[in-house]
Amino acid sequence: MVSLSLRRLSLIYLRVSSLTFGGGDPTMAALQSELVTRHGWLSREKYGLVYGLARITPGTNILAFCAGTAWELKGWPGAILAVLGATVPAAAAVVLLTVGYEAFKQNARAMAAIAGTLAAAVGMMTVSAWQLVRPDLRRERILRALVLVAGSVLLSYVFRMSPIWILGMAALAGFFWRAPVPE
Amino acid sequence: MNVALLYLLLLKATSTSFSGLTSLPVLRHDLVERHRVLTDRQLNAAVAAGRTAPGPNGLYVVSVGYFVAGVPGACAGCLAAMTPAFAIIVLLRYLGRRAERPAVRSAIQSVTLAAAGLVINATIPLARDAITGPLPIAIGVASFLFLAFTRYATVWVIVGAALAGLAGGFAGLIQP
Repeated sequence: MVSLSLRRLSLIYLRVSSLTFGGGDPTMAALQSELVTRHGWLSREKYGLVYGLARITPGTNILAFCAGTAWELKGWPGAILAVLGATVPAAAAVVLLTVGYEAFKQNARAMAAIAGTLAAAVGMMTVSAWQLVRPDLRRERILRALVLVAGSVLLSYVFRMSPIWILGMAALAGFFWRAPVPE
Repeated sequence: MNVALLYLLLLKATSTSFSGLTSLPVLRHDLVERHRVLTDRQLNAAVAAGRTAPGPNGLYVVSVGYFVAGVPGACAGCLAAMTPAFAIIVLLRYLGRRAERPAVRSAIQSVTLAAAGLVINATIPLARDAITGPLPIAIGVASFLFLAFTRYATVWVIVGAALAGLAGGFAGLIQP
């Protein structure tokens, strides 16, 4: 495992949020891939906890997610640098686009490159969901996992329920319906 | 408009919302209707700029700040977007001490699974917009396989997808 330094951690947040298009969800998927899967610095459970809490934190979810994950790994300095890294370069891009938005929209090459990264974001987010579910795809836990995942999709997609309510209901369900421990 | 007041108004909008664009109604009420320092057209351009740029959509407040007060306004917008994020640390400190209890651990595991459902739900509209032909399908599948079965950095997926999109744009295989 690669050692975790403040500089390395900050560069990951800066790089991922400066290059990922499509909003907060693809950015969280890309950060999951780096922090949980690739480097193993953050456990899947901690990721799930921060993801859930980021949804109930006021403001932009992804920035709360960056603050929370980096705070878990490197305390307050990590949280501050992660939020700065995730915000400042993207904010500079927003200002540049504000100044030249009409001209940029006419640039077919730039828009084609962005269309490519948005297609990649779909793959990234599918991997993110798969990696969150995979450890629970064991015989004794699969029913509980399927009920929770399918219930979450159903409530959000069909009934348009707020993510905050869905995560709250899932926490309540988990409080009373515990996963069987393998023998 | 005074930059400190602009920061407080933008902070009011960001800290009373729970995702990228839900601050829009509060912000429109304060800046377009009440103080009349922003037009609806500028607000639409700000949302479009926020959606087109990399990173969070919620950074449209930076563009709003720029329209109202230039670069100092953009800095106020940036600060207003960042400030509420640190509230999560209070929540983590509170829950972190209780995370080892079996019932709390089980609740966290359930939240993780529900989060996977929310990620699937967020993928559906993005897929509808982005997967518009054979090349975007190939890019999406290649990204999935690359990230699921290798340990290379995510940046390579993004750079590769941008290059494939660019090449597809030249060949007419992708709709910008």
